Amino acid sequence: MSKEHFFDVIRGPAITEKGTLVSEKNQVVFNVASTATKPQIKAAVEGLFGVKVKAVNTLVRKGKLKNFKGKAARLSDVKKAFVTLAEGQKLDVTTGL
Amino acid sequence: MQVTETLSSGLKREFKVVVAAQELDKELNRRLVELAGKANIKGFRPGKVPVPHLKRVYGKSVMAEVVQKQLDDASKQVLAERNLKPAYQPEVKLPEDEAEVARIFDGQGDLAYTMSLEVVPTFELKDTTGLTLERHVIDVTDSHLDEALGRLAGQYKDWQSKDGKAAKGDRVTMSFVGKIDGVAFDGGSAENVPLEIGSGQFIPGFEDQLVGVKAGDELTVKVTFPETYGVATLAGKPAEFDVKVSGVEAPKETVIDDEFAKKLGLESLDKLKETVRDRMGQEFGQMTTLKLKRDVLDALDAAYSFELPEKLVDAEFNGIWNALDQEMKRSGKSFADENTTEEDARKEYRAIAERRVRLGLVLGTLGEKEGVTVTDDELQRALIDRARQFPGQERKVFDYYRKNANALLELRGPIFEQKVVDHIVAKANVSEKKVSREELQALVQDEEDHVHHDHDHDHDHHHHDHDHDHDHHHHDHDHDHAHHDHDHAHDHDHAHEAEKAPAKKKAPAKKAKKAE
Repeated sequence: MSKEHFFDVIRGPAITEKGTLVSEKNQVVFNVASTATKPQIKAAVEGLFGVKVKAVNTLVRKGKLKNFKGKAARLSDVKKAFVTLAEGQKLDVTTGL
Repeated sequence: MQVTETLSSGLKREFKVVVAAQELDKELNRRLVELAGKANIKGFRPGKVPVPHLKRVYGKSVMAEVVQKQLDDASKQVLAERNLKPAYQPEVKLPEDEAEVARIFDGQGDLAYTMSLEVVPTFELKDTTGLTLERHVIDVTDSHLDEALGRLAGQYKDWQSKDGKAAKGDRVTMSFVGKIDGVAFDGGSAENVPLEIGSGQFIPGFEDQLVGVKAGDELTVKVTFPETYGVATLAGKPAEFDVKVSGVEAPKETVIDDEFAKKLGLESLDKLKETVRDRMGQEFGQMTTLKLKRDVLDALDAAYSFELPEKLVDAEFNGIWNALDQEMKRSGKSFADENTTEEDARKEYRAIAERRVRLGLVLGTLGEKEGVTVTDDELQRALIDRARQFPGQERKVFDYYRKNANALLELRGPIFEQKVVDHIVAKANVSEKKVSREELQALVQDEEDHVHHDHDHDHDHHHHDHDHDHDHHHHDHDHDHAHHDHDHAHDHDHAHEAEKAPAKKKAPAKKAKKAE
């Protein structure tokens, strides 16, 4: 996979309270494409940041139901990836790539 | 913080200030922690943002605040420690190298800068009690009154149309087109303009050629613009005016009587005379005070001589010079026209600037000693005037003065001046001297320079006033629009979001208020 494709997989870092919390456990949180698989995410993170990935856990946060101009609609789902880095690896996503 | 004095000659002082990186860092962290308590960043609940993250996001701007505060504090501290009275706000020179500045902002390097200032010169106050002054008083005489009434009558002349030829003193109504080399020029045409022959409103020669015209006449008036004409492109050029006369009117004799007074909105001739007398009295009174004030200032100027803070003189001089420069550009004159060279003029105005600064300092010290104070009210008024000089940026000006107490000092000058002068006059030996209007005018004229410039300033202010008002109106409009937009946004996007509901309710209330 080329570098451009990595960007299709990884949408961006999820800089949130929980994101900063898990960083203590050497984990990084990303928003990823909803079609992305764990092996793809692993390859993308390793390729983009040059770090060794130990494991990837994903979750899909379902979109909320909202009303727009009186009509019910659903916001899009978001897939998140909790990437655990290998022992001794460091990654600070908040500073940008 | 380390402060070393690097220069102390005359009134000038220069300090080198070094603030250690740790000190800055400490202050930065203190502020960030404070900020963390209330910062609202997406992805974090309010108050739950980790400080390191805040530092990454806001570090630069907070650091800028910290540095700014350091600069303010440092200058205040230095002045307080050394008991210096600065003539103006200390000038701060930060390192110019950008990499160096970046290092400081990253918390790596020490903040080192030079601060230069000039102190207020100290001088012995001389006793002004018993200063002999002359108050030049003009009495309003009957001849003044008659003259003023005559002028009034002239302005409110009644006209009667006349069949015959126009003579001097008659009023001609006409339309004309002015041409130079056969081409009509800007501002040279008008329609149905009344012109009193002999009033000298038009170019010399123009009115003379209208003597003897009748209603319905068409003629060509040939004149040459005078060399000193206000518009540079027209000065000295020969021009032709195609004039069409639509009417000739003769003036009706105006009798100054009760009838005339009534026309001016007053009950009787006596009342009119009284009003005119009052107004002239006021006018003369102003001239008297002006002259007296000038005499006081002259006396003070002559009594003191001491070294002046260069920067203040420079600032004053630049103010005068710029006003002059613009005036010259507008009227298209050069120094040669005024029989001076630029160098001479500079020297002359430099002297004026020095005089103003010196007087300002003397008056300031005098006032302080005599316990003359400027009330907040007066200061506020001056501040508003000041803000008006920067149309469109009033708020910035206000903020600037609010944050920098030192800057306010500069504002107090003019108010102080008047009050101190009043004070001196009250204590001085003032003798009254009756003079005629012409004499006083001649006296005042002697110092034409000063008056002239004061006038310039006034003009500028007026212009600004105008702009300022306009600006305000525009702003109001903008605001209204903005509000409307907001309302719409709420209705559409967030109508069903529970938290936003109060905001939505508020919006129409605001709107209603605006409408009132």
